[in-house]
Amino acid sequence: MKYKDYYATLGVARDADEAAIKSAYRKLARKYHPDVSTEKNAEERFKEVSEAYETLRDAEKRAAYDELGTHAQGQDFRPPPDWGSAFGAGAPGGAGGEGFDDIDLADLFAGFGRARGARAANAPIPGRDYEAAVRIPFEAAYHGTELELDLGGASIDDEGRVRRVSRPVKLRIPRGVVDGQRLRVPGKGGEGLRGGPAGDLYLDIRVDDHPLYRVDGTDIHVDLPLAPWEAALGATVKLPTPAGSVELKVPAGARAGQKLRLKGRGIARASGNGDLYAVVTIVMPTVIDERARELYAELAKASTFDPRPQFGGS
Amino acid sequence: MQPELVDALFIDDAHRFTITEIVHITGLAAADVTVLVECGAIAPQDPGAAAWTFPAGSVDVARRARALRDEFALDDVHAVAIIVRFEQRMRTLEREIAALRARLG
Repeated sequence: MKYKDYYATLGVARDADEAAIKSAYRKLARKYHPDVSTEKNAEERFKEVSEAYETLRDAEKRAAYDELGTHAQGQDFRPPPDWGSAFGAGAPGGAGGEGFDDIDLADLFAGFGRARGARAANAPIPGRDYEAAVRIPFEAAYHGTELELDLGGASIDDEGRVRRVSRPVKLRIPRGVVDGQRLRVPGKGGEGLRGGPAGDLYLDIRVDDHPLYRVDGTDIHVDLPLAPWEAALGATVKLPTPAGSVELKVPAGARAGQKLRLKGRGIARASGNGDLYAVVTIVMPTVIDERARELYAELAKASTFDPRPQFGGS
Repeated sequence: MQPELVDALFIDDAHRFTITEIVHITGLAAADVTVLVECGAIAPQDPGAAAWTFPAGSVDVARRARALRDEFALDDVHAVAIIVRFEQRMRTLEREIAALRARLG
């Protein structure tokens, strides 16, 4: 196991009192919390300072940590014999102290706290709820998808021993999730102790932007580029939708910004699907040949249309 | 061996949570939940009822309050509740901006 110098992480002396430790943590939390920090590697640094604080703020955990001795940061080490049992926690891996190599120092104290609680109460302890952020492409959100996560971490056996385990879980994400939505997976959180129920897993869903589709609540918007003559005369055009292309009849006289509604082709919902809106944009050719120029000139002469009435005649 | 396939569920907006359930789920004290109500961060379904119940969204707000309290080592639950109110306003504005961008293209 690698040693982590929690006092150095928080920038406090080894004999710092509770108030000093709290003050040091608060300062670092403000600096590195991912929600407010602009520092490089903020999330990783916040995790380090949180882990240090979690151990040093608890008198018993701190005492147990101090009993590990002083080592260089990152140095391989083993707890002294009978270290865990002195504090009511089992040794990691086994009675002979085997299995340290794959144990993180944080796992040691995660198990320590829970084993102490279980011993004191001798009652079932429910597992913790887990949270995971999941990013999926737009198509996966629209149609639903399956994905696999590894919820591995520290696990406590019935003797209170800490083990690092891999916990793959395969999830079916329902269709119609939107960016920022939370989903619940019952029973896939942390294990309970002494027969306590497992916690739940909460997923924070982030959906990637799509190059064509924009989501507004349960509605989807897609730009519909039209040539000037298509807008003027009407046209039947092929329109992509998340469920596949459709043939869209554009009425004559379509205007830029006008929305053509395709009912029920938005995001799926049990209470009723959203709609899909094709938003008209008029696109000019980049190159106008001589014949097209003649036709436009003729139209300009023949038409009495004033596109700028608000300018008071021009 | 392939792991079992399990369903991720939409959080049931129709379910109502008691203060006891919110305390159990979030780790906040009952008094802290009351402070969140007093500061307007969450609202019971019927404020006049003898026993308050809350919609599912209130659990998320309460979780967030607990996380902020712990992650920033804040002692004052009132301050946490105010921060949560500001965050709610910020999320509403972000959603409005995203909706406007979707419409404007």
